Amino acid sequence: MTTLENPQLNQPSSIYVPEPAEIIKMAKLTEMEMHYELRLADGRPLGQDPGQFVQVSLLGVGECPISLCSSPTRPETFELCIRRVGKVTECLHRLSEGDTIGIRGPLGHGFDVNEMHGKDILIVAGGLGIAPARSLIQYILDERERFGRFFLLYGGRTPQELLFKDDVVRWRENPDVDFHVTVDQPDSGWRGKSGVVTTLFRELPKLDPNETLAVIIGPPIMFKFVVLEILSRRIPQTSIYCSLERQMKCGVGKCGHCQVNNIYVCQEGPVFKYAQLKALRESVE
Amino acid sequence: MLDRIVEKNELLELVDELSRERTIIGPVPREEHYFYEAVKNVRELDLGFNYCVYSPKAFLFPPTETLFRFEAQDGSFGATPVLEDRPQAFVGVHPCDINAIRLLDRAFSRDHADEHYLSRRGATFIIGIDCPKACIEGVFCVDMKSNNAEEGFDIMCYPLEDDGKGQVVYGVMFGTKAGREWILYHQAGRAPSVKDERDFKQYQRQKEQAFPRSIPYDVDTLPDLLERSYDSLLWEATARRCYSCGSCNLSCPTCYCFDVYDELDMTLTSGERKREWDGCQLPGFALVAGDHNFRGKAASRLRHRIYRKGKWVREREGISGCVGCARCDRACTAKISSIEIYNQLAEEV
Ligand SMILES: Cc1cc2nc3c(=O)[nH]c(=O)nc-3n(C[C@H](O)[C@H](O)[C@H](O)COP(=O)(O)OP(=O)(O)OC[C@H]3O[C@@H](n4cnc5c(N)ncnc54)[C@H](O)[C@@H]3O)c2cc1C
Ligand code: SF4
Ligand code: FES
Repeated sequence: MTTLENPQLNQPSSIYVPEPAEIIKMAKLTEMEMHYELRLADGRPLGQDPGQFVQVSLLGVGECPISLCSSPTRPETFELCIRRVGKVTECLHRLSEGDTIGIRGPLGHGFDVNEMHGKDILIVAGGLGIAPARSLIQYILDERERFGRFFLLYGGRTPQELLFKDDVVRWRENPDVDFHVTVDQPDSGWRGKSGVVTTLFRELPKLDPNETLAVIIGPPIMFKFVVLEILSRRIPQTSIYCSLERQMKCGVGKCGHCQVNNIYVCQEGPVFKYAQLKALRESVE
Repeated sequence: MLDRIVEKNELLELVDELSRERTIIGPVPREEHYFYEAVKNVRELDLGFNYCVYSPKAFLFPPTETLFRFEAQDGSFGATPVLEDRPQAFVGVHPCDINAIRLLDRAFSRDHADEHYLSRRGATFIIGIDCPKACIEGVFCVDMKSNNAEEGFDIMCYPLEDDGKGQVVYGVMFGTKAGREWILYHQAGRAPSVKDERDFKQYQRQKEQAFPRSIPYDVDTLPDLLERSYDSLLWEATARRCYSCGSCNLSCPTCYCFDVYDELDMTLTSGERKREWDGCQLPGFALVAGDHNFRGKAASRLRHRIYRKGKWVREREGISGCVGCARCDRACTAKISSIEIYNQLAEEV
C-alpha cells in the first residue's frame, strides 16, 4: 500500500486520541479490583511486551495508566486488572460487557524477554503488583522451554485481597512454576502461609547469582525489603527488574508528571533495572 | 554575516501587509509593562520594548486547549482531534524567548510527536529582535548563553542604529527559507555594505560588554555542580519560604508540563478532552493513588525545578532548560531567586 492510499494520513491525527476497544468479559476479583478482557475494535492484536501499560479512557470522565496483565502470547484479547481508587477507575467498574472504552498504547518499556531467555526467573509480586507480573508469568508459562527454573512469590494483605485466585490455584498445581503465596493477615479459613512476602524467600532453593534474573513488582514499601533479600543472594543489581508507579497524564513523555530525576517513567519505564534506579534519587523513596 | 539592511518603518509596513494573512502577535505596552498580544493594527506594537512579562509561549502552547472532541453516546465511540493551524506571526521576540521556543520545538517533536503544538508552531512565522544590552536588571541570559539566538526564527533583526526616537536600522539575518523569501519577495531594504558588516561586528563587540555576568562559573559546568548538590541543605533552606503557588512555573518560557481532563457539554453526550498548564511546584504534581507523594516536600519540588532547568532538560534536549530571563524570580512573592540559587551552588563544592 502506498502512503497516499492511506486515508488516515489525510485526517488530522493526535497522539492523545484513544482507539476504541470492546469489553469482552468483566469479572470481579475482589471488592476493589475488576478484571477486564478487551479487544480492539478493529480486531488487531495489541502487541504488547510483558510489563507495558495502556492509557485507558472513558470519554467524559478521563484517562489513567493501567498495566497489561496478559501476555502477547495470547493475542486474541488483552486483559487489565483495575482497582477502583478514584474518578476514572470507579466509573470503569460500573461498565458492563459489550461496552466500549478507549485505549492508547501499548506504552512504555516492558521486560526485555530476550534477555530473560535461558535464565532462571524469580518474580516477587506484592498486592496489585501481581497484575503487571501476570503478563510476564503467562509469557514464561507459554514459552516455558525457553526459560530455566521459574520461581514465583506472591504476597497479599488478606486472603480476600488476593487477586487472580483461579490462577493462584492453577499455579500451585503447575509443575512449571515453583509458586509460593502468603498473606500478611490470615483469617480462620486460610490454610496457607502467613507473613510478609519476604518470608517466602525461605521456600526458595539456592539461587545461581549469575543465572537468575529477579523481578520485583509491588508497593514502594515492599520494594526495599525485597531488593535486600535478593541482593543478599548475591544477584547483581543489573539482574534485578522492577516496575515503578507514578502519576501519568500523557503516557508519551510530555506532561512531566511521571518524571523521576531525568527519567520519564512512562517512556523509559515503567520497567527498570535496579542498577538504573539506584542512581536515581526519589525513585522508590 | 548579515543578509539585509531594513529600516524599522519599512519592516512595520511589511508586517502590516503580513497581517492580511497572519494574526500578528507582538509586544504591546500595558501600563508599565509589555505583553504579547494579538493586534489589529501594527501601530499598537512597540518593537523598542524592554521585555514582556510573559513569553509568547501561550500562543504555541495555550494555557488550556482542546486535544479532541468526542461523542460518548451509548455504544458509539467517536473522537476527532482538534488541531489549530491558523497562520500567525510573532513580531519582536528576543533571543531568550527564541531559545525557549527551540527547546519546546525539540521537546514536543521528539519520540511521540505532539501534533497540537507542532501544527501551531508550523503555522507561526517568527521575527526576532536582538537585544543590544540586558533588557532589565536581574536577567542572566548571558550566563545561560541564551542572549544570542542561532536559530528558531524566520528572520532576526539586529538594531544597528537606534536614534532613540523610533528610527531604527536593522541588520537582518535570515533563519529560514520562508524568512528569506518574505524579505526578498518584497524587495525590502537593501543588501548590506562592507560598512554595515563592520557596524555589525562593532555591534556584537559592544553587546559582549553590555551584559553583566551574574554567575561565577561557566553554565556548562552547572549539570556537574547540581549533580554534587543533591543533598545540599540549600533546597530545604530556600524552600522554607516557598508557598508552592506555581507562579514560577506559570511565568517560565520553557515550562511545558500539563494536566489532562475531560469536559462534557450540557447534553452529557459529547465533550472535549483538554489539557491545561500544570506546575511541578504544586503539591499534587507527583501524587499517586494511595496518597503517596513522590515529591511531597517543597524542598524536593524546588530541587526538581532547578535540576530540570539546569541539568535534565539540557541533558535530554541539548538546550538549556533555563534561558536566564528571570521571569520566575520576578514572579515569586517569596522572593525565591534562581540566580541566587545558582550562585549558592557555587559555594557547595
Ligand atoms: C505504569 C502504571 C501502571 C498502572 N497499572 C495499574 C493496574 O494495572 N491496575 C490498577 O488498578 N492501577 C494501576 N495503576 C494506577 C492507576 O493508574 C491509578 O490508580 C489511576 O490513575 C487512578 O485514577 P482515578 O481517576 O481512578 O483516580 P483519581 O481520581 O485520579 O485519584 C485517585 C487517587 O490518586 C491520587 N491523585 C491522582 N492525581 C491527583 C491530583 N492531581 N491531585 C491529588 N491527588 C491525585 C489521589 O491520591 C487519589 O486518591 C498504574 C499506574 C501506572 C503509572
Ligand atoms: S513562585 Fe516562588 S513561592 Fe511560588 S512556587 Fe515558585 S518558588 Fe515557590
Ligand atoms: S506521563 Fe506524561 S511525561 Fe510521562
